[in-house]
Amino acid sequence: MSNKGARGRLPARFSAFDLMRRRRSWPQAWRERDLKSTYDVVLIGGGLHGLATAYYLATNHGITDVAVIEKSYIGGGGSGRNTAIVRSNYLTPEGVRFYDRSVKLYEELAVDLNFNVMFEQRGHMTLAHNDSSLRTMRWRAEVNKLEGVDSSVITPSEIKQLAPYIDVSDHSRYPILGALWHPPGGIIRHDAVVWGYARAADAAGAHIHQNTEVTGIDVEQEKVTGVTTSRGKISAPIVVNCTAGWSSLVAALAGVKLPIVTRPLQAAVTEPVQSFLDPVIVSGSLHVYVSQTARGELVFGASVDPFGSYSTRGSLDFIEGLAGHVLELMPSLGRMRVLRQWAGLCDMTPDYAPIIGPTHVGGFYVDVGWGTYGFKAGPAAGESLAQMIATNSIPELIAPFGVERFAAGTLMGEKGAASVGH
Amino acid sequence: MTARLPERPGEVIDRSSSLPFRWNGGDYTGMAGDTIVSALAASGVRVLSRSFKYRRPRGVMTADFNDPNCLFQVGDEPNVRAAHRLLEPGMDTSSQTSWPSLRFDAKAATQALSPFLGPGFYYKTFMRPRFLWPVYQRVLRTFAAGGKPSPQPGHSSPDKRYAHPDVLVAGGGPAGMMAAISAAERGARVMLVDEQHETGGYLRWSDSDGRLALADLRTRLAAADVEVLTDSVVFGRYDHNWVGVMQRSHPQGERLIKARAGVLVVAPGLIERPLAFEGNDLPGVVLSGAARRLLNLYAVRPGTRAVVLSANAEGAAAAADLADAGVEIAAFVDARAGETVVRAKGRTGVRSVELTGGKTVEADLLVTATGWTAPTALLNMAGVVPTFDPESSRFVPGEMPDDVMATGGIVGDGSVADLLSHAAAVGQEAARRSGHKAVHKAAAIPAAAALAPPSKEPVELPTLEPEPHPPLFIGSTSGFIDFSEDVTTKDITAAADEGYRSLELAKRYTTATMGPTQGKLEVINAGVAHAIATGRAIAGMGTTTWRPPYAPVSLGALAGRMLEPVRHSPLQPYHERVGAQPIVAGQWIRPNHYGDPAAEVTAVRSSVGVIDVSPLGKIELRGRDVPKLLELVYTNKWSKLAVGSVRYGIMCAEDGVVMDDGVTARFAEDRYMMTTTSSGAAGVYDWLEEWLATAHPDWDVRLTAMTDAYASMNVAGPESRALLERLVEGIELDAESFPHMHVRTGTVAGVADCFLWRLGFTGELSFEVHVPAGYGLHVWEALLEQGADLGAVPFGLEAQRIMRLEKGHFIVGQDTDGLTRAHSTGLSTLINSDKPDFSGKQELEWSEADSGTMLVALQPEDPAVVPPEASQVLSGNTLVGRITSSRMSPTLGRSICLAQLTQDHAAPGTVVTVHLPDRTRVRARVMEHHAHFDPEGSRLRG
Repeated sequence: MSNKGARGRLPARFSAFDLMRRRRSWPQAWRERDLKSTYDVVLIGGGLHGLATAYYLATNHGITDVAVIEKSYIGGGGSGRNTAIVRSNYLTPEGVRFYDRSVKLYEELAVDLNFNVMFEQRGHMTLAHNDSSLRTMRWRAEVNKLEGVDSSVITPSEIKQLAPYIDVSDHSRYPILGALWHPPGGIIRHDAVVWGYARAADAAGAHIHQNTEVTGIDVEQEKVTGVTTSRGKISAPIVVNCTAGWSSLVAALAGVKLPIVTRPLQAAVTEPVQSFLDPVIVSGSLHVYVSQTARGELVFGASVDPFGSYSTRGSLDFIEGLAGHVLELMPSLGRMRVLRQWAGLCDMTPDYAPIIGPTHVGGFYVDVGWGTYGFKAGPAAGESLAQMIATNSIPELIAPFGVERFAAGTLMGEKGAASVGH
Repeated sequence: MTARLPERPGEVIDRSSSLPFRWNGGDYTGMAGDTIVSALAASGVRVLSRSFKYRRPRGVMTADFNDPNCLFQVGDEPNVRAAHRLLEPGMDTSSQTSWPSLRFDAKAATQALSPFLGPGFYYKTFMRPRFLWPVYQRVLRTFAAGGKPSPQPGHSSPDKRYAHPDVLVAGGGPAGMMAAISAAERGARVMLVDEQHETGGYLRWSDSDGRLALADLRTRLAAADVEVLTDSVVFGRYDHNWVGVMQRSHPQGERLIKARAGVLVVAPGLIERPLAFEGNDLPGVVLSGAARRLLNLYAVRPGTRAVVLSANAEGAAAAADLADAGVEIAAFVDARAGETVVRAKGRTGVRSVELTGGKTVEADLLVTATGWTAPTALLNMAGVVPTFDPESSRFVPGEMPDDVMATGGIVGDGSVADLLSHAAAVGQEAARRSGHKAVHKAAAIPAAAALAPPSKEPVELPTLEPEPHPPLFIGSTSGFIDFSEDVTTKDITAAADEGYRSLELAKRYTTATMGPTQGKLEVINAGVAHAIATGRAIAGMGTTTWRPPYAPVSLGALAGRMLEPVRHSPLQPYHERVGAQPIVAGQWIRPNHYGDPAAEVTAVRSSVGVIDVSPLGKIELRGRDVPKLLELVYTNKWSKLAVGSVRYGIMCAEDGVVMDDGVTARFAEDRYMMTTTSSGAAGVYDWLEEWLATAHPDWDVRLTAMTDAYASMNVAGPESRALLERLVEGIELDAESFPHMHVRTGTVAGVADCFLWRLGFTGELSFEVHVPAGYGLHVWEALLEQGADLGAVPFGLEAQRIMRLEKGHFIVGQDTDGLTRAHSTGLSTLINSDKPDFSGKQELEWSEADSGTMLVALQPEDPAVVPPEASQVLSGNTLVGRITSSRMSPTLGRSICLAQLTQDHAAPGTVVTVHLPDRTRVRARVMEHHAHFDPEGSRLRG
């Protein structure tokens, strides 16, 4: 479905051969540009979503007069704070289809962008500790299968084979009854995804403006006319809010109200140890997910904090609970040490599904409210958004996620499976 | 070859001891007081590890906790800081990243490839051919640094401790000690935390004057009322001075102390900074502090012929100590005079050192004293923004909040006396700010009378300024900046040239500061290299975002004991005795069945059975305004509930989604008992309290959680009345005196104060008996004993689930989900729109016409097929719903289901296709009633 004819020429090819030839001397992956006074499209937010949208606008639709406006450095928000898990084992058919498209794009991304994003499809395992969550796992597996996504429910002995450090005995506090096993899931180098898109978007002609903050969105007669930034005004007929963490505040600049609350999501990483854990392990009952990076660190995350906040500080309470739950799953890891904890901001909608599409302000689109799923969604969101902008119609893949659903009462059903849905 | 020196005046080793230990399979001995690394260094071992990426040989460099080259496996514990961990006899230690051996590491071949392995080389290759990517992945993963985690559980940590010091001092060097002494002398409760094994900081390895000053400080500290924790670290400062302290050498293992500090005094001293130049990672290149620690604490000679590069007094002192220990000083390079080191040469250790001007000096030791990094992490965590001071070449603290202070080297330099007078003032001021209650201490400790009172006025702090220091960060040749991650000056430059022009991006791209030291050694050099590469001023360099923990802390200590007890009903002894099959249900473990659930169903339907329903949530509500609360949280009408009656209701969240269901009885005019689902008990209690606290604080309603106060058992079946008549006193049980959905109180099996209500989940005539918990077992056993001739049996959760499904009763959370609004349950009659308001009303009224899916009863056409729960329902190829509950009905002899279907498929008689997990498909018919059995409810009302 993509039209690769408009792909920009990369300043330098990445390959083993070029690595030998160029050694350490490479051209800039993306350039610092002067801020023009007009662009066809302004994308607010230089994270994964904004950069992916810029890339697909250029490569799939030949739209290259695009500015990505980032208040800090690219990928410094949610794109660099998530736990880098990619999967498509969602609950609703709409969700499964959407995230499956994202997984497919991720699988091709390294070759597509000529940037190895290091997607390691080591499998994704969601543990069930009681019969009600086992029932939900079966539900997800059945929906996944019908949508052509590889998911199945596995037994404790199969879990033990895939992840030998997990305690599957029946004398733990929360015995493991089974798991949803999703082989295509895995982890990826999240920074590399951001950089790969940025490099390819830049090569295709998009301008990436870092350290540039949007301070106003200009609207005349219910139509967007441009943005005001810390470096000057830009006029543009199309402005897209691709921010996270502050998306409701950015939308408010255009007079658009969004049903979003922002909550911190905390994470932590341990010191590296030798590889011992292949799949991503998730436990909803224990509010924890764990994966081991290629570097050997364990990366942990949990559910969003139970209160709204814009703080990205971590709490002691969080790592205490996290450690307890990790040890409940893998009791032999008591001597591993936490190296760093942090938090990111999640924009939560009432039904835990995103808001993507046009708003009542003409030319002003939103791609927000991704809650804890934004990273997994990036490629498919960017691709769909680009298609929407280019064709001025809403692609089927994202049609269920319009803002009008809150007025119509047709909410999405991911909430039930989303409390710790990583 | 031993490198142990004759006795040194400040040494901490016990020469009378001899501790055998193993390292990389060989036998070694050390002394009590040695660290693992000092013992190895004393034995003449120079190469201690291989580096992460290039597998370069590495040796001791900082000789303290932060040494990036000294992470060992000790027994089943990975990543032990071997330059900090004290030696214990019999320890089995090994280096971590080397294969097949430390001497010959096969992966050192990467060194030859190093020109091609620049920053992010892996982002630039391994993309094609695609089928090889999984192979590359496996190879890359073998490079993971670090030890091997134990596969065996068994390590436990002591319980966590809470502390409430008025003043908590982080850092036990001279300034920290003085601040603690001075705060304690003003009556404050003080905790002093130091990362080393003894207090004293740099005075421990300094000269005789320093040792004298230290002895004096230790005497005063011992006399002051200060709790001193050594080998412990303040690893995090969280909001409101909630401070995490890890006590590493607690006798029972690492222990977490959580302290609410009045004032946190940050006095960590300074961390010595390496200089980046070619060969700066060779074994034999050590920091001046490391040389002095090895010499003066452990009496270990770090080399025989040394070059000393010095930009400060510490370098000169190290040279003097080396000379004193018999190390030949081949060259003293004075950086303040503009001389410096160009590169160090050698293969597995320093052999020679090239100086400015091209002169090469043979040496096996290169000591550098090129400045410090201020470890401002705790200040950053408190919101302080340190700024880089180009004069002193280090960060200095910025504006601080009232409850955080700093003293010592992190603030400025000076003589010991200067530091002590600053620290004393800080201690006094901290005591004042903490506003402690000296009166407590006066009562407890008679000596307290001698304490000076805290000053009333703010204490003026003497100035303590950092001394100027030459800007020595990166040399003229490219060297290592991050030793844990194998990142060089060239790598940082290359990253900046490639467009990673924000320092944060360059750090992420090169992974500098991402390793176990987290920037403590490398952050400034990385920032400087990046500033130079991007043509920016070093002075404008920002610090990294220091995040907790300041030093790594173990999962075991953070976790402590798991305080999530299992809940059992008071009847558990019976269930265990008869070998009931348990099932985990939220916090509870309860009997699923007693052998044969189908037989249990038949017994209940034909005679009588008893089920333990103690986990049922029970909340007592008292007060004048209880009816108002009930009207608000339930969807149906409550104001007219008569005393003695029971009513069923469903609760919706504000979005109209069903959140819980249950019954509430009215015992008296102002006294009610509400039941909730077992798993919803805590949530409903919170929900009620939230309404009362936030929206209606004026209402007269008091809640008491009663779940554990009663043992609850449901007596169900046609013979249930006959059984209870044998045991109940004071209640008429006939249908007229005690109709369905009514409540009575009385005595059961001699136990007074029981309450009974007529209702149940099974569809049979049933009485739910609630007995004061302590007598529960007695009543339960009496019921079974007295009912023996009636055929009474205990039944479990599974039998109840079958019977409720036969009756079409839904379970919130199983047959409903996160989107199921009240209308979808088919209980629209329970939604009373006439009420002025109730939770979810607006949403329910508004969505009445289209409430998404409907809950329906479904029967497969083939009565032998039980579609597993969660099987999907299709119409053509479109998903139209799912099976939410399914069982084989022993009563009907056929499979029965509840399902959620879209409204256009929910009409009775509709035939749908059920897609089973094994991919076969069966047809099923939508039923007229939810109840598959006795839809009129005649049995229930009998």
